[in-house]
Amino acid sequence: MKKFLNLLKKEIKELVNVQLIVSLAFTLLLFNFVGQMSRKEVQKAIGVQTISALDLDGSASSQAILAGLESARFKIERIEEKTKEQAIDIARGGESKLLLVIPSGFGDSLKDFKPSQIETYSYMRSFSLIGARGSAIVRGVISALNNVLSDSFLKEKLPGLDPASLKNPIKSKDFVIVQKRMAEASASEVAGMVSSQSLLIPVVLMMIVIYSSQMVISAVAMEKQNKTLETLLTVPIRRTSIITAKMLAAGLVGLLSAGIYMFGFKSFMGGIGGDELKAAASQGGAVMRQLGLYFDTSGYLILGASLFLAILVALALAMILGVLAEDFRSAQSMLMPLMFMVMIPYFISLFADINTVSLPIKIFILAIPFSHPFLVSQNLYLGNYGMIFGGLAYMLVVFTVLVVFAARIFSSDKILTMKLRIGKKRTVVA
Amino acid sequence: MDNVLTVKGLKKTYGKQMALAGIDFEVRPGEVFALIGPNGAGKTTTLRIIATLLTPGDGTISFLNHDFRKEPDLVREKISYLPEEAGAYKNMKGLDYLHFMANFYARTPEEEKAFVDRAVEITELGDRLKTKVGTYSKGMTRKILLARALMTKPVLAILDEPTSGLDVLNALEVREIVRRYVKEGTSVLLSSHNMLEIEFLSDRVALIDKGRILDSGTPAELKERHQAKNMEEVFRSSLR
Ligand SMILES: Nc1ncnc2c1ncn2[C@@H]1O[C@H](COP(=O)(O)OP(=O)(O)OP(=O)(O)O)[C@@H](O)[C@H]1O
Ligand SMILES: [Mg+2]
Repeated sequence: MKKFLNLLKKEIKELVNVQLIVSLAFTLLLFNFVGQMSRKEVQKAIGVQTISALDLDGSASSQAILAGLESARFKIERIEEKTKEQAIDIARGGESKLLLVIPSGFGDSLKDFKPSQIETYSYMRSFSLIGARGSAIVRGVISALNNVLSDSFLKEKLPGLDPASLKNPIKSKDFVIVQKRMAEASASEVAGMVSSQSLLIPVVLMMIVIYSSQMVISAVAMEKQNKTLETLLTVPIRRTSIITAKMLAAGLVGLLSAGIYMFGFKSFMGGIGGDELKAAASQGGAVMRQLGLYFDTSGYLILGASLFLAILVALALAMILGVLAEDFRSAQSMLMPLMFMVMIPYFISLFADINTVSLPIKIFILAIPFSHPFLVSQNLYLGNYGMIFGGLAYMLVVFTVLVVFAARIFSSDKILTMKLRIGKKRTVVA
Repeated sequence: MDNVLTVKGLKKTYGKQMALAGIDFEVRPGEVFALIGPNGAGKTTTLRIIATLLTPGDGTISFLNHDFRKEPDLVREKISYLPEEAGAYKNMKGLDYLHFMANFYARTPEEEKAFVDRAVEITELGDRLKTKVGTYSKGMTRKILLARALMTKPVLAILDEPTSGLDVLNALEVREIVRRYVKEGTSVLLSSHNMLEIEFLSDRVALIDKGRILDSGTPAELKERHQAKNMEEVFRSSLR
């Protein structure tokens, strides 16, 4: 045990170097900075926006539209006494992103129940999505006005009838049923919330897997490159201890740095989303609770166990790759297949339902150990405990096999001869 | 007294390539035994097998009368190995490296300290041991590695070309270290292709080429037997 701790301490010290600390600190700063910037942009977009308006009609109705926009927190810059073309030019020079043109005769045709038109000109001064929100809001205001206007038409023409039921004679009240629970919500809303709930799992998993495997790989490859491996292997300590110490160190440091990254990421997202998102989330949360679509303690434990096993599998795989690699650089490129193995289930889970894909694809996905943590929340909600524990058992088996295999390599000639073959042949020829 | 190490008919192949074609030698207590031979003779292969890094092929190896194959952990407790090309952890300070390595062999903190003190004395690096290994010259690195191999007073120190890559003065120092600190119950098995070095260092020598032992004995015996003035001539004559 004393020897193991000695080794573990050294492995951790090797991994936590200035480089790592600087890169972590830098990322945190970067996330923070980008988050702050985005928050400012969002506030600008949500805040008072300037719209230019040319009212060629001047009727009560056109005034009502502009007043409606003003009450929706827009600042209206009225362009007076100009033609449409002139107005377009004037607005181009200004700051507003949108020019609203209400043609003459607008109010009259409204009165005659004829379709009436207004024109909007958006100045695309940038292509960011947040920037384009202005025109979406204008459209919202127009549709609200449409509602009000059509209500008043209907009231005028068909007095005594409720305009709302005239416009939508059929109403739907949506319920979602999950197993034995029911709540009032639409299926697409719930699916959206579940997927956003488990959005973090793949991100966390990817981060940790990538970080820790990189560390394990470099831990082995560096020993080879710096020619310290041979000495280490003749020290009186068991080969499995060497492997475990390296994996544990990489796992711990990987976990820590992923945690720090996640923290940065969260503060970044918080920066963008702001209060609006939080409010929406708490509303959805009530529905999800009603449906039982949330994690209780045992749920978190299962998810944690699944993530932990996935990380162990990744570390064991990385260990083997690290042994096979000649030096640090080739070890780095060995990491690619491992990354793909994590990405494949992630992308499939984004676009397809693993439960309904064809059998060969399903087998393929389930054979990748990293798929299982992605499936935990689904299976937990749907009560597929067989799948969950099957997945856990499968990962455990894969991990054991990999560790045994890694230990084999470590106690065989391969760990030394694999890198030596090329070099030695050359000396013989020379 | 019994031999520290007895090797009989040891063979080793890498895939199809034959590296050792059956070699025999023994290392006696307190002696420096050298394998000398040209590049590719099989020296490193032999030493790596004795250092438990490679699995032996046919043949028997007994270490302190224990079966070598069955008890690699016991062997590792009592040997130390200095690889032909070796490095130390670059980010560690010299002293930390010595402590790190001593910890694996020491049973008590006092023993660990004794090991490190001995290594510090061997290296003669003084305050430089407080700087990182990454800043050391080749000669300094070799010395700290040699010191770490000798500090635990192993029963058998296995040194693969201890002076390789060193200049004349550093090589001389390393040789003196080996001579001076090898007593007190430590035997040495070393390899070299420097015939002159061997004469200075070793009590007994085995000439090895193409995975076979050509001849062995004390340098004096060998010179006499081959009627040669030095070990280089001995080697040439034994090749015939
Ligand atoms: N990993 C390996 N794979 C295949 N053949 C190898 C390997 N290592 C060594 N050999 C072969 O085994 C033979 C003995 O090599 P070894 O390294 O033991 O020689 P050596 O006496 O130490 O030589 P040198 O003086 O160059 O260090 C050589 O023919 C070499 O090509
Ligand atoms: Mg060699």
